[in-house]
Amino acid sequence: MNARADSVRAVSAKLAVRGLTHRYSMGTPPTELTVLSRIDLEIARGEFVCIIGESGCGKSTLLRMMAGLLMPSEGEVLHDGTRVRGVRHELGFVFQQDAVFPWLTVEKNVAYGPKSRGVPKAERERLVAHWCEAVGLTAFRKAFPKQLSGGMRKRVDLARAYANSPDVLLMDEPFAALDVQTKAEMQDAVLDLWKSTGKTVVFVTHDLDEAVFLSDVVVVLSSRPGRVHAIVRSTLARPRNGETRVGDAFAVAKRTLWTTLQQARGRAVAPAKARQAPPTTTERA
Amino acid sequence: MPSDAGRSVIVRFCRPAVIVGVLSLAAVIGVYWYMALRPGTNPALVPSPPAILKALRDEIATGDLLVNTVASLKRVVIGFCIGASLALVLGALAGWFRYAGYVLNPIIDALRPIPALAYIPLVIVWVGIGEPSRIIIIVLAVFKPCVVNARAGMNEVAQIYVDAARTLGASRWRVFATVALPSAVPYFIAGLRTGVSTGFLALVAAELIAAPSGLGFMIQNAGQYFRTDVTIVGIIVIGLLGALLDQVASRAGRALTSWSDVRREP
Ligand SMILES: Nc1ncnc2c1ncn2[C@@H]1O[C@H](COP(=O)(O)OP(=O)(O)O)[C@@H](O)[C@H]1O
Ligand SMILES: [Mg+2]
Repeated sequence: MNARADSVRAVSAKLAVRGLTHRYSMGTPPTELTVLSRIDLEIARGEFVCIIGESGCGKSTLLRMMAGLLMPSEGEVLHDGTRVRGVRHELGFVFQQDAVFPWLTVEKNVAYGPKSRGVPKAERERLVAHWCEAVGLTAFRKAFPKQLSGGMRKRVDLARAYANSPDVLLMDEPFAALDVQTKAEMQDAVLDLWKSTGKTVVFVTHDLDEAVFLSDVVVVLSSRPGRVHAIVRSTLARPRNGETRVGDAFAVAKRTLWTTLQQARGRAVAPAKARQAPPTTTERA
Repeated sequence: MPSDAGRSVIVRFCRPAVIVGVLSLAAVIGVYWYMALRPGTNPALVPSPPAILKALRDEIATGDLLVNTVASLKRVVIGFCIGASLALVLGALAGWFRYAGYVLNPIIDALRPIPALAYIPLVIVWVGIGEPSRIIIIVLAVFKPCVVNARAGMNEVAQIYVDAARTLGASRWRVFATVALPSAVPYFIAGLRTGVSTGFLALVAAELIAAPSGLGFMIQNAGQYFRTDVTIVGIIVIGLLGALLDQVASRAGRALTSWSDVRREP
């Protein structure tokens, strides 16, 4: 691959990760722990990308580096071809923990980003109205987070991230703490937001069903150190809904992903007898 | 509905906590009363409850009680406002900004183990025995718990909120003002409540030493003339006033932290 082709690819990717390595040093005397090793990724504009891997493989670390919350030990993250050196509002983040400010009302939470960036009041008001509506919280605009359920607080979190005009949303296991029913509703909500805005989403999860249901592309990480084990492109049709979850194609896609994940964990998988080649493409990275 | 409200008041006062609490206080007064009435007890030194009530009426009638209470309240309010605001500003800065911490932490930690009352001789030598020295002692007494709590609150700010604010584009200053400060408010309130009671304690101590007015002065002065009944009235008023100030602080705190879902004390 020549240098020219390389630079063209960098510009076409919404978010590119190049040779990203991260080491944490801990303990006394400090020992270095390599959490991620030479990660390369290209995420196209408008794509819904899921990252899966077992607990502790470095998913959060990777996403925090993409957001500019954490600086990599080596390598770089490129957003629209420019190097990410710190947080930027174009890179929105939704955390696993409850990160909604409990001392602000729902509408003030949603207005927080725009206000930080000096968006005029009238425009802020419009953004708040629009995003509260988009996540179905218009009736709760004046409520404090403690008055809302866990799922509703996650909706506030989503509205707050989208209201800040990001062009990439980085979500770190945002629904991991929710019950199954609420989780499914939130997945529908996130797909609605993705469809209506067309904004790129990078979604970390360790839930296979979630990854299969949401993604265009699943990045499977291996552990210790975290590396890209495989990139699996989904062949499930869109739009996806309750029907999708119980369809045969879903089961097959999940099986493929499961097998890949087992391999990433270094476990042998007995070949399924008389099973057709799954209708998904798996390329080893 | 009035009948409902009436019933709820009755229900509130029929709770075991209230009934047992009242009985417990009544028992203490009863034991005291019994001792006061025992033959051979000097009623001037151990006045009976009715005698204390009479002293209270007299002190109210002459206006002495009001004058002394106002004098004390004024000192404690001024001292509290100065001490608490200094402490909140310095504690918040020390707990949040690294270099402010480098500068302020040694000072805070050096002051920490010293009881405010230990400064009294020094303050008298340096400032004299006028009104300023009494206020300085209260300021010192209020400052310590407030500054320690404020700093602790800023150290305990959850990283998740800071990260969230940063990804939303908040500047360092905005993170301090809109994330760190509000999330530390419960700690500030805890500090202020402790500050109110330590300030009040120091007030009485400061007034015991050469003050022309105030509740501390009143009980000291009465003691010198063996007016034990007036001393006891003063002590009771000090107790009530202290409880009242604590209630004000706690209600203000509750109003400021209504967003918090931390369990409140009953
Ligand atoms: N701040 C840190 N300091 C030291 N080690 C860390 C830190 N954060 C995470 N780690 C370690 O890095 C590894 C990956 O963590 P993380 O990115 O949170 O994984 P995941 O999100 O995939 O569960 C874990 O082994 C974890 O213990
Ligand atoms: Mg994680």
